[in-house]
Amino acid sequence: MSWLSRLNPRGPGSRSGRSAAPSSPCTADPETCLMVFENHWRQVSWVLEKHEPSSSSDDLTAVRNHTDQMLCLLAEERPAESPEGGGVPPMGPILELVVTENILECLVQWHLRRGLDPDSQGALLKLFEMLIGQSQQPLLQHTAVLHPLLRLLGACADPELGCPSALENSLVLLLNQICVSMARQPVVLEMLFRAAPAQQGSTNLLIFSLLVPFIHRDGAIGQQARDALLLVMAASASHEAVARYIAENSYFCPVLATGLSALYSSLPRKIEVRGDDWHALRREDWMCVSSLVLFMNSLEFCNAVVQVAHPLVRSQLLDYLHNGFLVPVMGPALHKSSVDEMIASTAYLDLFLRSVSETSLLKTFLRFILLHRHDNDTILDTLLTRISSNSRLCMVSLSLFRTLLSLNCEDVMLQLVLRYLLPCTHVMLSQRRAIRDTDLYGKSADKFLSLIPECCRLNAAPSTERDEDSAFWGKGDPSTESPAPPRPSTPSRLAFFIRQQSSGGGSGGGGPSTPTGMEPLQSGPSSSHPLSPDSPMHQQQTHTECLDWDSGYLEYLKDARRGIEHCSWACRDWSAPYDGENPSPNTVPPPPPPPTSNPSMAMFPEHFSFQQGGSSNTPPGQQRLLEQAPGEPQPPGDSNGQGISIEAFTQELRELEDRVKERSRPACQEEDTARESLSAERQEEEQQLSSALEVKLTGDTKGEGTVVGLCSPARPLNQPASQPYTGPFMVVLFAKLENMLQNSLYVNILLTGIVAQLACYPQPLLRSFLLNTNMVFQPSVKSLIQVLGSVKNRIEAFAASHEDFPAMLKKAQQYLVARGKVDWTDSPAAVPPLRRSDSLVKSRKPSLGDLILRHTNSPTRARHAAQLALAHVRDGGQSLHSALFKGSAGASGLEKQAEALRVKNAVYCAVIFCEFLKELAALAQEHAVSLPFPHSQESAPPPQMYWKNFG
Amino acid sequence: GHSTWSLPWAQRSDNEEQGGHGEQRSSPARLSFGKKQLPPIPKNAAPITKPASTGTPTQSANGTHASYGPFYLEYSLLAEFTLVIKQKLPGIYVQPSYKSALMWFGVIFIRHGLYQDGVFKFTVYIPDNYPDGECPKLVFDIPVFHPLVDPVSGELDVRRAFTKWRRNHNHIWQVLMYARTIFYKINTTEPLNPEAAVLYEKDVHLFKSKVVDSVKLCNSHLFDQPKIDDPYAISFSPWNPAVHEEAKERMFTYKRRPEDHHKGTQVSGLSWVKPGSTQPFSKDDGSPQS
Repeated sequence: MSWLSRLNPRGPGSRSGRSAAPSSPCTADPETCLMVFENHWRQVSWVLEKHEPSSSSDDLTAVRNHTDQMLCLLAEERPAESPEGGGVPPMGPILELVVTENILECLVQWHLRRGLDPDSQGALLKLFEMLIGQSQQPLLQHTAVLHPLLRLLGACADPELGCPSALENSLVLLLNQICVSMARQPVVLEMLFRAAPAQQGSTNLLIFSLLVPFIHRDGAIGQQARDALLLVMAASASHEAVARYIAENSYFCPVLATGLSALYSSLPRKIEVRGDDWHALRREDWMCVSSLVLFMNSLEFCNAVVQVAHPLVRSQLLDYLHNGFLVPVMGPALHKSSVDEMIASTAYLDLFLRSVSETSLLKTFLRFILLHRHDNDTILDTLLTRISSNSRLCMVSLSLFRTLLSLNCEDVMLQLVLRYLLPCTHVMLSQRRAIRDTDLYGKSADKFLSLIPECCRLNAAPSTERDEDSAFWGKGDPSTESPAPPRPSTPSRLAFFIRQQSSGGGSGGGGPSTPTGMEPLQSGPSSSHPLSPDSPMHQQQTHTECLDWDSGYLEYLKDARRGIEHCSWACRDWSAPYDGENPSPNTVPPPPPPPTSNPSMAMFPEHFSFQQGGSSNTPPGQQRLLEQAPGEPQPPGDSNGQGISIEAFTQELRELEDRVKERSRPACQEEDTARESLSAERQEEEQQLSSALEVKLTGDTKGEGTVVGLCSPARPLNQPASQPYTGPFMVVLFAKLENMLQNSLYVNILLTGIVAQLACYPQPLLRSFLLNTNMVFQPSVKSLIQVLGSVKNRIEAFAASHEDFPAMLKKAQQYLVARGKVDWTDSPAAVPPLRRSDSLVKSRKPSLGDLILRHTNSPTRARHAAQLALAHVRDGGQSLHSALFKGSAGASGLEKQAEALRVKNAVYCAVIFCEFLKELAALAQEHAVSLPFPHSQESAPPPQMYWKNFG
Repeated sequence: GHSTWSLPWAQRSDNEEQGGHGEQRSSPARLSFGKKQLPPIPKNAAPITKPASTGTPTQSANGTHASYGPFYLEYSLLAEFTLVIKQKLPGIYVQPSYKSALMWFGVIFIRHGLYQDGVFKFTVYIPDNYPDGECPKLVFDIPVFHPLVDPVSGELDVRRAFTKWRRNHNHIWQVLMYARTIFYKINTTEPLNPEAAVLYEKDVHLFKSKVVDSVKLCNSHLFDQPKIDDPYAISFSPWNPAVHEEAKERMFTYKRRPEDHHKGTQVSGLSWVKPGSTQPFSKDDGSPQS
């Protein structure tokens, strides 16, 4: 039986069956084995010693057969007994013979003299792979083994030209085996490194050079090569010379980095999106896109290399990644002119950020985002402007910012927000001392809760409709649940809303109407909590007089506490407290002023709007000129409102947009179709309430990807440059927030999530800006409470003009509850079966927003959820759809549809808004009772330390 | 003459949270100051409707804090407690009662001066219309011999320092701080214990010996059962290595972490900002990058 045929059936990586090789007398005693070996060797020698290299295939077959037997014997030989006192076990007799007679060298030399045909090459590679992989004793440290091996490798493959594709599998597998045993015996690395010049291979680390071309390969071969390289990296981490060689003499780093660029360029330019809730690439999304899988594998490999490699290699790789991938490839990709490409590149960047776990690699990405300028704008600037764009790009961008915020990175927060707040010019001078105040007495919380519109407090509906699904619903974000692989992901928003409707009737008043008594309430002895069991924290739940709107408040408090704790823990090593004194407002450099014009605007196609803040000085007339809302095309069509589903919503939106696009004249278009039907009343209201100017920058419609060269002053002309300015991020978020009524449900979920995320930050500058409702700001600075007040008014105006608002609100809630519930019960692994009374269980379930948004990945589930929702909704005898879509009978179908969309957005907005206020109130309260974490004592790990604990 | 209370409070040099590890006699398990924790939700307290035993709410009649609501009161007290922890008051430990957030148990260790070695347990009573009511009461378990401590009730004359309790300005930690100060700086004007005041003025020697007796008396009752039966009342017991050694060890090694920290696979604590700079990536992190 030929060794070739014996080895053949085994697939790469499969190790089974080899030690059970039938022909090997492995169990025989060492002396017998040696005798058998010598016998084979005698016969081989006889062939080898022929003076003329024979071309006879008989010779070849004979040599092969004997070699096969010999190497099996060698592989299965155990080392001799250790000498007394331990130490290195001496070689077994066969190995000793191999070394003294230099048998392997003779064999390889014979093959080389004879001329290696591919078949023999493959056979030898496999044979050596078997030998290295199976050997019972260390072999590679013997030059008698190592050198012939290197000679063989040099003959089979050229570091520059690679090797014949038929040999690739065997080659990589052998290299992998070599690296595995090298990782076990570090001395081998040294030997490989030193031995190399003696060989034909021109490069020092032949093994390494041979592996590099396979870095980005697909499938098992690529994985084996990457694994092997990683082993070399790890082994060389403490080997300066090898590291230097890799950095200076190999193409490892450039290949790795530019390979990413190549792989990136083959990624889909457009992400096919199924649902209108889609906003981020999740694992399930990209696992089936082979080009993305390939890219992610390589990125993951970069991450791993950064983790284990020598600092020299690491820093070189990071430099290459920055200058060879991020700047030349990611930069332009993010600035592509077509919306689809912007969406795709933003989603990719978000995915990359979430996938990277190594701090220094993350730093490279962040440095690129924060500091690199593409066409004069930082990547951050560009990404910021897109929050105000149409809903898909907006959602993807929001998702990216959510990821950025979840890093709790000082540098990011500094650039996004803090540098604008540092000078403290946004607050009145007299107020500066209040920056550090927390909401000791619940005043701010009270203020937030007081903004819950009256029309939303009445929904403690008659108990007939109070079925179990009204128990709770919430909002939040996706990606809290992590897929099976342990690969680090960056959980984004941790906060979510829960709401639990009390079974008592609402009393509709302001605060909880009756203070609770202090009578003790029996409860299980609970450990170390400082407050009493009959405190409202406990009683709240037993309190029948509780208002509907605050009955789930405890959940918000718990969430807020979790969020704040997590955030302050993560920020504990920041360089300064950002409390209005440190860094001192007087010494900080002035933040960049609002952009006077934005060159990158020219990059934007139609459908985009820019929103600027600080526009209170703009006369209404000017605003009207800039706004193009009136006279929008009214898309035709009809709405036959039957049933609701996510798909229907999506479809609806998309059709509407398509129709508008088709019919569009060279007039400007709204980012949101629903806005087209803004009533005059609504506009008037907007002028009254909104001082944030929304400048629509739109242009001719020239189809997908058209670049519109339109520039406009990005800030009102008459605004002095010295006006306090809280930065583009806050301005765009607030503008978007103020527009909540028109935003889609999903945009609002993401948007409020981000604001809540910001509000978790413990830095007094940020905390006071968002949550201290008593703070007096400069007139040009809009506060969150002002923005929310404006939204409240709009919701109330809307409710007042729709008599069926309460019913719609309830339906919308039921819909969201049902939709969320399906999902929870759907994933029993992550969430125990839902028991509404078990608040602990609930606190661990994924958030509703998560659930809502997650449907993207499973159309079936989405449909299922929608059906379920429908079933509940129809219980009431009237579908949400028909409720929401009840238009005026006289209007055209399309007007009706636009109106329906507007109504739908507004109703969902009202739902989200109330929950958001509770969330903010809870955050304000929790900040007052949170304790800072001490600076971690560990100083920064030295470079040679692995960052494994971050993995 | 002093309507507001303010004191330059000494920052404790302890690098960690206040934890009561300084005093071996204290019952370590009780003193968990380092750990702020909201009450966990009792497992049985999920949305059960209020039991029929709706005892008439005791404070509803007075209604002065109705506008804050129970949540706000609860959180205000918790916030006050948080402030106490942040102040790191030297030698003072408090623990809110299990039964009512308006009652805090405390103990104060006097380390120098006339009252050196005194260990005085006390209870703080916070008015239920806090923060709009009177200032909190502080009552020593055993009336310590002191001009400002009522020889019968043990109540400390707090009001002289806080003639009017002003929200936002006055905090419970100031009351605690005040309670500590009286032992270091004796004030005899308008005393609650005239005998002590007179002695201090006329016969310091006798005063001192009375103080020593009083301290001895207090310390001899250290291991008594707490005056108020409450799971969170502070109780002392003689040092018992089997019980206390491990608890002490835990206190010394304790590092507070976020509750769900173990779940955090997330990179965190990222900062490349050089202290004193406001420029991103200004810190030289020692890596040979760039």
